[in-house]
Amino acid sequence: MFAEFAGKILEYFVERYRVHFVLDVSCNSVAQKIYVELNNTVPCVRLLNATHQIGCQSSISGDTGVIHVLESEADLEWPLSKGPNPPYMVLLESSLFTKSIMMKMKNASSRVAGVVVVQKTSPPEFSPHTTCPNENTGVYTETYDHNLAHCNTTVWNPRGNGLSYEEFDSPVFSLKEDNETEVIKQCYFDHNRVVNGSGLQYPLCAMQLFSHMHAVTDTATCMRRSSMDFSTSPVMVCDPLGGYNVCAFIRPYNSTAFGHKENESVVIAAARLDSRAFFLEDSTGAEGSVSGFVTLLAAAQALREATQEAPPTRNILFAFFHGEVFDYIGSSRMVYDMKNNMFVIDLDNVHSILEIGQVAVRSGTNLFLHSDPVSRRNNTVHDEVTNLVKNLQSSTAGLNFSLVETDFSQPLPPSSFQRLLRARAIPGIVLADHQTDINNRYYESFYDNAAHLNLTYPSNLSPEEQLEFVTDTAKSLTEVATAVARALFKQAGGNNSQVNKINADPKTVTQMLYGFLVRSNNSWFQAVMAPELKDILQPNPPQYYVGVAKSSHQANALTYLVQYLLANLTGTATNLTQSQCKKPDELPNESTYLYSYLWVQGVVPPNSTQRESFCVRTAVRLVKAVSPAFDLGDYISKEYSTWTKSQWKFIKARIFLVASRDLEMLTLGVGVAVLFTSLLVTYFVRTKADVLFSSVREPNNAAY
Amino acid sequence: MNLERLPNEEKLTLCRKYYFGGFAFLPFLWLVNVVWFFKEAFVEPTYTEQLQIKTYVKRSGLGFLLWVAVLTTWITIFQHFRAEWGEVGDYLSFTIPLGIP
Repeated sequence: MFAEFAGKILEYFVERYRVHFVLDVSCNSVAQKIYVELNNTVPCVRLLNATHQIGCQSSISGDTGVIHVLESEADLEWPLSKGPNPPYMVLLESSLFTKSIMMKMKNASSRVAGVVVVQKTSPPEFSPHTTCPNENTGVYTETYDHNLAHCNTTVWNPRGNGLSYEEFDSPVFSLKEDNETEVIKQCYFDHNRVVNGSGLQYPLCAMQLFSHMHAVTDTATCMRRSSMDFSTSPVMVCDPLGGYNVCAFIRPYNSTAFGHKENESVVIAAARLDSRAFFLEDSTGAEGSVSGFVTLLAAAQALREATQEAPPTRNILFAFFHGEVFDYIGSSRMVYDMKNNMFVIDLDNVHSILEIGQVAVRSGTNLFLHSDPVSRRNNTVHDEVTNLVKNLQSSTAGLNFSLVETDFSQPLPPSSFQRLLRARAIPGIVLADHQTDINNRYYESFYDNAAHLNLTYPSNLSPEEQLEFVTDTAKSLTEVATAVARALFKQAGGNNSQVNKINADPKTVTQMLYGFLVRSNNSWFQAVMAPELKDILQPNPPQYYVGVAKSSHQANALTYLVQYLLANLTGTATNLTQSQCKKPDELPNESTYLYSYLWVQGVVPPNSTQRESFCVRTAVRLVKAVSPAFDLGDYISKEYSTWTKSQWKFIKARIFLVASRDLEMLTLGVGVAVLFTSLLVTYFVRTKADVLFSSVREPNNAAY
Repeated sequence: MNLERLPNEEKLTLCRKYYFGGFAFLPFLWLVNVVWFFKEAFVEPTYTEQLQIKTYVKRSGLGFLLWVAVLTTWITIFQHFRAEWGEVGDYLSFTIPLGIP
């Protein structure tokens, strides 16, 4: 009967709680009750080169600190000296993310466990890059010209504070202003606020950041450790940076025939693709790189018809170099390939070079032509450069700006042309919007975005209408592209009477600016991309950081976008079917030696849902851009870029409430005491077992 | 294995085997020798073979202490200086820690 009753009670409880159990089983995890995970974080990671390591490192089990929201620079005293509960996790707004504050926190690393930067308003100027970018891998070395080395005459980036190249031994993360930041601020205001005078009461709100990097010291060490295979599973600790250059000749050569081409003279039109920021995954490069390569893409489109009708005597190579920020990875690779007969032309075939630098932020109406004074001491080079300047200046006839040569004794700004000069004295010009130091107030930082270029759209437009709207920035870049295209045509020996028909299209320019700086997932980009690559189009702009060189033939989103755009703007649409497009060699008139064939999605015609895909025949190729130092195995090279990025296992951030140290010690002490007490009790019971338990047995014995 | 049941000659043979075995770079054999035969050599009442067993135990103990000294010195030096030795340190290591020099 007792069993029946117990059974009924059990049934009742099971019925009542069964529903709750099923619903709550996923949410009842103890970890989820303690920690709030932060998902949209961008960490600062570790990069290494031949001599240094830069970036941030956390400890292997994460760094925990009590959250402190910094209000001003004077408020730094609290985490650095006055605060009673070190270590602190300092939360800054982007306006406080300055070098002086970061260096003070770096020096007090025992009290500061980490830094979190919340992106809000842009400061008036901020450049975390160095003052003299790529100073050791450009052409201005001590031997080339002692006076021009190390930016002695012109400091190109005077606002640079070098923050990106500092080493921090605590984690630094970046957050956007969104719901997660609100949760953090709420937690801070509930628990961590100092009530005037009285100290803080535990429990306090704390944050833990995990960004443990595997590589240390320098590239040679980490490459050596990656290649040692004593143990069963060798661990790769770092990867070289690199990507692909995008190249297109207007008259393509057989892509398997490397080396010198007899009687071929090529004019190179170059631009840079990549950019960086302090937080690498957050790189926007509006003025730094987008202005240059969008202008060159528009010029390539403008030249298409003229060069097909009346091909000029010299060939033109459109070269988009990747990895230039990290000691000229792309251009040094191309020069290396040219010198070693691993490219379709070599340095003897190069006639001259025109590079498009930063061209979108003008301080007047003029743009400036920079040349190298040292190579111009040679008369032939000087004459060629003067000729190129003449071609450029005459190309601005009828346009709203003019091109002015810079002071003769001023060196070249940081540009890919410097790497070609390092190999050979080639005549060339770098086109830029700055006369001396750069106009870019946000050089290589995450504020160099669409707003910096004044890319504003009227507020009532839909995204598709914004795509078509021609902004003022687009108009001025179109004019620059027209001038560049005309100058290239003349430089390549084209017929002068055709020059005035060459015009860049403002609609193309504005669509490109929209796609590269506002949203890459728009209808035009969708139409030019391949179907299997359509996932790289996102509702935000693409990443401009060059990334790690992958062993498979995969490039990053930016490279594919530029490749397919250049294919669309300079190639021809064919009427091959999809299977023919994969194997065009079977057809009589098509050749994969000269061209590459890309199947693209095409537009969606009105009144239809199917895309009209087609095959594009184009001379655009992707050329591997990894520093020659890694092929040569020379990881301490002073000649080539040796940048690598460390690997890591996981990166995450979370917040939780933390108890005081005293409470933790008390809990531990009580636990240890309970352990010893239980041991004592067990020992006691064991030795006195006969006394304790024999009294029960006596009555049974008595029965015998 | 219970030494009490063995005849004395077999005890001596066993002790000798462990003593000679330890010379093959096996200091733990010497440690085992010392611990196992300590009672036999120094506590039990005298018997004929005990003198030899005592010698073996003493020598095993000395050998073991020598090994401890050498290994401790080498391990301390290696742990302290591995990072500074750069390439040599990495080639001497079987597992290299991640993220620290």
